[in-house]
Amino acid sequence: MTWLNHLAARAHVPVFVAFGDDAPAEAWTLSRLPGVLIVDTPRAASVLLVAGTIPEALIPYLHRLHDQLPHPRATVLWQSRPTQSIPNAVAVTGGNEIGLVVVNTFADLLAGDRVSEPDVLPNKPPAEWRGVGPHGQGGKGMMGGTPYGRPMAMTDDDIRDGLALDSYTAEFGPFLPFFPPGLVLKLTLQGDVIQKVKATHPPFGSGRPLLAAMLRLMGLPALAVRSLNGGANRRVLQRLIRLSGARFAIPPGLGRMPDGSDVRARFDRMTRTSTDATLQNPSDMALGHVLIGLEWHAAMLVLSSIDAASLQTLCKNSDNDDASSATDGRDPSGHDMHTGHMS
Amino acid sequence: MQTILAIVGIFALTVVFVGGLRAAGWSDFTGPATAPQQRPVLGGGDPETHAWQRFHVRYYTMMLLFVAFEMEMMFMYPWAVVFVAEGGKALAEMGMFLAILSVGILYGWREGVFRWE
Repeated sequence: MTWLNHLAARAHVPVFVAFGDDAPAEAWTLSRLPGVLIVDTPRAASVLLVAGTIPEALIPYLHRLHDQLPHPRATVLWQSRPTQSIPNAVAVTGGNEIGLVVVNTFADLLAGDRVSEPDVLPNKPPAEWRGVGPHGQGGKGMMGGTPYGRPMAMTDDDIRDGLALDSYTAEFGPFLPFFPPGLVLKLTLQGDVIQKVKATHPPFGSGRPLLAAMLRLMGLPALAVRSLNGGANRRVLQRLIRLSGARFAIPPGLGRMPDGSDVRARFDRMTRTSTDATLQNPSDMALGHVLIGLEWHAAMLVLSSIDAASLQTLCKNSDNDDASSATDGRDPSGHDMHTGHMS
Repeated sequence: MQTILAIVGIFALTVVFVGGLRAAGWSDFTGPATAPQQRPVLGGGDPETHAWQRFHVRYYTMMLLFVAFEMEMMFMYPWAVVFVAEGGKALAEMGMFLAILSVGILYGWREGVFRWE
């Protein structure tokens, strides 16, 4: 079946990019490379591209991400520290040959010249099934027991309309494609409404192109790539963005910051001028003020509209005053509940 | 005899087809998903609670409206034919049906279905 493998190797390489600290600037424009297809989930990828340095604290997250790629899979470390856990990873330093390396790695993988990487984590559930009874049955929660080490969801207070149903708590990030790279948030959700926020890891300082991230989030990937074109044809870009109607997809008054700007105003700032998209540093605001009470899509818009430095400040403030942001969050000051409520 | 042959033939074809699909789907790489692969994709993060949970089906009022308006129209078309034959009796029956349905509409009204949010 070698001819079949060679034929398959000529397809576009599905690549999932894990952005680290100081990721090369070319990493944002990888979708322009021939033969490379940037996918939004590790489940659809064959090559995990680690761009930039992953700090020690985020290595366990990288391991979980790595194991979620289906076989056959390979890892390419691009200007990244080699890790012992993924010994077969291909290391690249320069920015020019990355496309070629990815394509060749994929071809080798399919031709059988390269062994698919095994799981980093052991093949057992994150925690054992625990219960009250002798067969693991019983306990609190909807159905009782602790299936695979995770307790069943319990009812919790609801911000939106007080109908208290099950809340879901999970850590999101740091490699979610629509999250600022490096940001890990522990979110408690009721349906799609954010109830509690806790920043586990702040985002990296290195510049994520805000406008591109925003356009990509709003389903305009071609405009996102165009916006990274180094200021060429800015006029045309502005007109295309205006014609796309993206501005009107952003609800007015969403995610208001101390300088009075909402997401729409910040989006305008991004589109009108190329570099002056900075925001007055929110010195007395925590993440909870910005995110709690928002539905998921609105929260993602807010996160994408804030630059890395301000997000870092928000995360730091959230650590300082947990009381206002994380614990009860029933009526966070300065945040109008109805700005995000659009059901 | 021919019928039995046909049934056996179809059965054999099914077995060959399913077996072929199974064989085509099988490669060196597929196998049962390992425990790390069964985790939900959260960009490297991990959930704390099980994903099996109750949440508010907020569109239920829309479903109520759909049943109240769409279903009644569905029954009214065949009813029109019956009405020609039966006359007043059919009209009374449809009146009862609509009365019951309108209770649902009134309930939806109270729940605020008609308010645009």
